Amino acid sequence: MTDKKQSDLIERMVAEARKGRLSRRDFMHYSLAAGMTASAASGLWVSKAQAATPKRGGTFRVGVHDSNTSDQMDPGKYQAVGEIQLAHTHRSYLTEITQENGLGPDMAVEWSATPDAKVWTFKLNTNATFHDGRKFTPADAIASLNHHRGENTTSAAKPLLAAVTDIKAKGDDSIVIELDQGFADLPWVLTDYHICMLPAKEDGTIEWESGIGAGPYKIVDHKPGIGTSLVRHDGWHREGAYFDEIEMIQLNDPNARQTSLLTGEVDAITQVDLKTAALLGRNPNIVLDDVPSGSAITLPMFCDTAPFDNNDVRLALKYAINREDIVEKIMFGRASVGNDFHVSPGMPYWPDIEQRTYDPDKAKFHLKKAGMENLSVSLSAADSVLPGAVDMCVLYSEHAKAAGIDLKVVREPNDGYWSDVWLKKPFVFVKWGARPTPDNMFTLAYKAGAAWNEARWENERFNELLLIAKAELDDAKRAEQYREMCQIARDDGGTIIPMFTNFTYARNKSVAHGGKLAASWELDGARGYHRWWFA
Amino acid sequence: MSYFIVGYYALLIGASCLAAFYQKRGVFLILFSLTLISFIVGIVGGESSLWFITLCAAALALAAGTSFAFREFLVIVLPTELSKAVKTAPLTAAFGLFVIMTYAIAGVFAPIIAPFGEAEVISSAFAPADENMILGADQLGRDLFSRLVYGARNTVGLALTATICAFLLGAVGGMLAATIGGWFDQFMGRLVDVIMSVPSLIFALLLLSIFGTNVAILVIIIAVIYAPRVFRLTRAVAGNVVVMDYIEAARLRGEGTFYLIRREILPNSTAPLIAEFGLEFCFVFLLVAGLSFLGLGIQPPTADWGSMVRENATLISFGEITPLFPAAAIALLTVAVNFVVDWMLYRSSGLKS
Amino acid sequence: MSGVLSIVLKRLGLGLLTLLIISILIFGAVEMLPGDMAEAVLGQGATAENLAALRAQMGLDQPAPIRYLDWLSGAVVGDFGISAVSGASVAETIGPRFRNTLFLAAYAAVIAVPVAIILGVVVALLRDTLFDRVANVATLTSISSPEFFLGYILILYLSVKTGMFPAIAKLNDGMTFFELLDRTFLPALTMVLVVVAHMMRMTRASIINLLASPYIEMARLKGTPAWKVIVKHALPNAWAPIINVIALNLAYLITGVVLVEVVFVYPGIGQLLVDAVTKRDFPVVQACCLIFAATFILLNLAADVGAILTNPRLRHPK
Repeated sequence: MTDKKQSDLIERMVAEARKGRLSRRDFMHYSLAAGMTASAASGLWVSKAQAATPKRGGTFRVGVHDSNTSDQMDPGKYQAVGEIQLAHTHRSYLTEITQENGLGPDMAVEWSATPDAKVWTFKLNTNATFHDGRKFTPADAIASLNHHRGENTTSAAKPLLAAVTDIKAKGDDSIVIELDQGFADLPWVLTDYHICMLPAKEDGTIEWESGIGAGPYKIVDHKPGIGTSLVRHDGWHREGAYFDEIEMIQLNDPNARQTSLLTGEVDAITQVDLKTAALLGRNPNIVLDDVPSGSAITLPMFCDTAPFDNNDVRLALKYAINREDIVEKIMFGRASVGNDFHVSPGMPYWPDIEQRTYDPDKAKFHLKKAGMENLSVSLSAADSVLPGAVDMCVLYSEHAKAAGIDLKVVREPNDGYWSDVWLKKPFVFVKWGARPTPDNMFTLAYKAGAAWNEARWENERFNELLLIAKAELDDAKRAEQYREMCQIARDDGGTIIPMFTNFTYARNKSVAHGGKLAASWELDGARGYHRWWFA
Repeated sequence: MSYFIVGYYALLIGASCLAAFYQKRGVFLILFSLTLISFIVGIVGGESSLWFITLCAAALALAAGTSFAFREFLVIVLPTELSKAVKTAPLTAAFGLFVIMTYAIAGVFAPIIAPFGEAEVISSAFAPADENMILGADQLGRDLFSRLVYGARNTVGLALTATICAFLLGAVGGMLAATIGGWFDQFMGRLVDVIMSVPSLIFALLLLSIFGTNVAILVIIIAVIYAPRVFRLTRAVAGNVVVMDYIEAARLRGEGTFYLIRREILPNSTAPLIAEFGLEFCFVFLLVAGLSFLGLGIQPPTADWGSMVRENATLISFGEITPLFPAAAIALLTVAVNFVVDWMLYRSSGLKS
Repeated sequence: MSGVLSIVLKRLGLGLLTLLIISILIFGAVEMLPGDMAEAVLGQGATAENLAALRAQMGLDQPAPIRYLDWLSGAVVGDFGISAVSGASVAETIGPRFRNTLFLAAYAAVIAVPVAIILGVVVALLRDTLFDRVANVATLTSISSPEFFLGYILILYLSVKTGMFPAIAKLNDGMTFFELLDRTFLPALTMVLVVVAHMMRMTRASIINLLASPYIEMARLKGTPAWKVIVKHALPNAWAPIINVIALNLAYLITGVVLVEVVFVYPGIGQLLVDAVTKRDFPVVQACCLIFAATFILLNLAADVGAILTNPRLRHPK
């Protein structure tokens, strides 16, 4: 089959698949026949739309992974998946990522900005109440945002709101946020899991200790590291919350999660062990949800440290990795290949730039140009970052052998990986949670001087464009600017991006959802609790 | 009823009758009780369970045959002194020796025996067995059999070194404490309490996080974790010996501490120590597997049985047998080592009957 | 008897001293671990500024000895402080979990210890017969797999395939005792399988070790039945190592079951300790370790006293 014919076929199949005329199974069948790797298809299927209308009732029991005894209520210190899932259930945010992966209202009903995107006004939902009956007021919103600002804040979300200079109430139903630079993505940033709305105290701080929020469910019993039970909050300001009660159970062991789902101890689990996902999916009572996300695997190299300070070395390492093979073997097809810029196909402004492929000869060429034919480097990883992370690096090391690169894999202790390895060692394995927009991601990890610039990469043109695009409200112009930035990052940047992972979770077939799933977190952007129902 | 079942019972009953005729009481009892059990199992489990019994019996017979042949082989090959000892060894001990030797050969000649390299990716993930790969592939498409062979080298080497270190530390410390007594005994006892009271996984986590992971440190830390267990046991056994009258007599003769340990205490407390050695040896595999749970084990892509079990453990829940191979490799070695230990125990106990 | 009592008192005093030393060592080890509590809490989200603020809030800007003394002054009057990470009282966090751990350990021990000793005596009696071999191979195989793997296999056959027992040991407040036993059967069984082999083999070894002694010979020549020789004559002299191994395994049942807890989602103290170490949550780590240490010291003391009581020679050290 010629390349042209093949790509035509694939395009047609993709189109059919998008319209829902081709099942995932058939697609896999045809695409394998066409010589295409199954991984390319993973982005296409969410789940078939279900026509049923939501029904109220029942107790939704969910097995949650990565929830620990050290989980806490302070929104500034949220980190684990268990905390994020719970946060979206008993607390609410100003804006949300919708099931279509767009931006939607939550506790703010509408918002607008001045043309330079420096002053934003958010109109709040006046029907919203906290679990103890208190009304949601601008004072609460201001205190909740200020929790992540200022000199003494301990919040991990501080960099997100660094540009905010002042927050004021306007009337009794709006707040005005002022920034020191134009920031078109502010409403997107407010969907961040840290920035939830909490009741304010007299002194302008928030009351987070009690666990009271304005979310769809209120906590009845919370045992960190064991589980949480919640009941519906009758005064919730939105449609949904079909389940009467929610029970979240900590199930950190992959086997425990899957057997609990199989034996009916829980109705859904937040993560499926990829090795056995296909086997689990064969069970007629279980439905897998496979959602392509913006969560990237990155391999940053310190651009100020030899040998990575030479762009030819970086390019050689980028050509020496077989992304398809990694997606196949490590993720069992449940990921999409990356292209060395940190914008996933599901994110707004994704530019269609030519895919970089595995090419040991090109890698050798670049090594020769750099004069380092016998390149030997160490790559650090830990399985706590991603199950299979160490395996992935071992596989990469095998790929790199073909290009004459000696890649040594170092298994680092799970414990302390973020404090001792990330940002400390020159070549490491990192997983990033999905960020809603390119600006968000670039500002955090690619801007010169950013605290998390994990590759220590500084490119003048890139940083210039970043500032221009940040305040640009014209979408077409912005898209063009982001395309150029992605191209620069791909060809000069210090970060290899082998893939964007999927969220793969599973539910009993008695649990139904609207057919589309938000890609921000597990379980429909951690909002399945109020969006889903028992069929 | 198939020919298999008819043949199965005919063979069993015929053999029982023969045994009864020649007055072999033990053989008859075993054969006939097997017949009776087969009736029950056959009714409950059907023909497949009888096949299972047949396979087990065949495996057992094969093992026994191999052990017998191996024992004869050893008797011929070894010098007279040793061959005399081997001649009286039970078949189980010969089996143990055979397995240990096989593992030793596999470990030493791993690069020659293994068809592929330790880290070599040759097929897709979890590819089924074929003529190239007799056990199929692992999660990265590496040959499982080759990794098992290399695992013999890495895992057994590490376990052996660590266990020997632990025994040197623990046993010497224990006997010194028992012989010297007094403040030294108390000090060692409390020191050991300190080490043992911290759970071993946590202890390893703390130490490895502080000192970093490489094989030498791993061995030292495992030795430090296990030495106290050996110490306590030695101290208890030697404590019983120290109060004996012949020790008192030796002391009055004016013998030094090391003489006492070497000539009086050690010979009288070897048995429980040997028994302990057989078990501690296998615990090391498990500790390494447990460490890899915390991301602290042997560095990849080095093959190691404990980590190999751990990496694919979840597959067992769906009836996939990949993780059973490394687990079986550990189990077989443990059983073999302990068979040999049993034999040495028997010899050292001085039992003649 | 008063000799034993004075030994016990002396050992208890030494035990307290041991606890103090352990608390210093644990504090030092947690201090030496790379990264501190603030870095662990913020994880990937740490920046220089919020780290500094959080350190100040947690009191980490104080010098280490002062923090230790602060903790110690509370601990000696029974106040183990509050978890620096979650802000909950340490006693309240640990209390119910420690009860769960003790319950599971007791459940497993009640099954494992008699089974191991009886099996040990029987295989010593029937040594070198088929029964001896089978018992040995079975128990050795069961301890050769990592305990999480053993747990997976038990879950597969006893829960997923046959539905006889629940797969996870999730506890509710209003459970009856029998429901509790049913819920926790699989983790208990896993732990039984893990510890039986060790104790059984030690029993067997210690007894066989004595069988060549002249007094056993004497008893046998008298015509005493074989089982009586073992139970009445050999066993009493074999107790010291057996008791030691039992104490070791009991301690293991309490302190070493992190993986079993994870596999069966049992809310015990092991998982708490791992989480606390990961977060560098010193007060919780310290309290857990001290509880383990105290358990351990008491068990060891019991083993030593047991050894002394069973061997009168030890009561009068020369």
